[in-house]
Amino acid sequence: MVEELKGAIALVGYGLAAIGPGIGIGLVVASAIEAMARQPETADVTRTTMFLGIAFTEALALIGFVLFFIA
Amino acid sequence: MDGLILATSECDPSSDVVICAPDDVNKLFEFTDPLFSIGPFDFTRTVLLIFIAMTIILVSLWVGLRRTQLVPTKFGMAIESLLTFVRNDIARGIIGPEGDKYFPWLASLFMFVLVANAFEVTPFINFPLTSRMGLPLTLSLLTYVIFVFVGFKTNGISYLTGIIWPRSVPLVLRPLVGLIEFVSVFILRPITLAVRLFANLVAGHLMLTLLLVSGVVFISNIGSIGVKAVWGFAWFAVGMGIFLFEIVVIVLQAFIFTLLSAVYVETSLHAEH
Repeated sequence: MVEELKGAIALVGYGLAAIGPGIGIGLVVASAIEAMARQPETADVTRTTMFLGIAFTEALALIGFVLFFIA
Repeated sequence: MDGLILATSECDPSSDVVICAPDDVNKLFEFTDPLFSIGPFDFTRTVLLIFIAMTIILVSLWVGLRRTQLVPTKFGMAIESLLTFVRNDIARGIIGPEGDKYFPWLASLFMFVLVANAFEVTPFINFPLTSRMGLPLTLSLLTYVIFVFVGFKTNGISYLTGIIWPRSVPLVLRPLVGLIEFVSVFILRPITLAVRLFANLVAGHLMLTLLLVSGVVFISNIGSIGVKAVWGFAWFAVGMGIFLFEIVVIVLQAFIFTLLSAVYVETSLHAEH
């Protein structure tokens, strides 16, 4: 009983940890698309920077993913 | 294939379940029985695949670049454009002119991670090497050693003091910002670099295995379970969609891993103040 409860809480925790980065990645990509639409000639630089921004934002969700396994 | 066979034999479509899942998902990732041994070294499936990945890279580099000519062959062209991409977009684009010094390391990293990831969607292999934590962790520790070494070599001890006592920040906030920076640079960086790759490939492998195996099991038992086999078609269709998505993830994760390695080296080279 206690074991099952523990697993369920870890799942909920990972779900919560995914909310913030989800919104964050949405903001990053939205701004990148806007920048690319305004200045298509800088699209290459924008794309690289966008992936960097996504990677850093995603780190928070990954910490939640690790905690899900540790819990 | 072991994982697939295991999951197939354990799954009983005539019971209440609508999707096949092994009771322990670790079985899909752990291959502990050695296939063969050379001296004291046991070759499990994972180790063998690492050597196969190395052979694929070495052979394709040798075949593609053994004769550089004005008009390269099609395969040589592909290898050249791959390496040019790593040099121009990652090494020179992120690190700058001195990035050429790090190009061999970045190119090896990119090609190895790409091939190791690509085993996920390779028929008859279907196992991403990077879904075992040991491999991404080793690669990210290599990056860690390189960027810390480069940081101390180019900036001396001011590399460390610049991180834990940042002079551009107001004095009141300096200890707090320094602590956050220290933890994020020296502890979180290598962990997130490894876990990002690992988590993406684990999730992909799990989804593909569960969906496609469930699809095959339910469709092949259509005679005995009747209309319930519709689940099988649904799982199979979703599985094929995710298969295409995973091909994008494979290339993207290899790119991001290399890109972040380059960014970490760049921040060590041009540390603020």
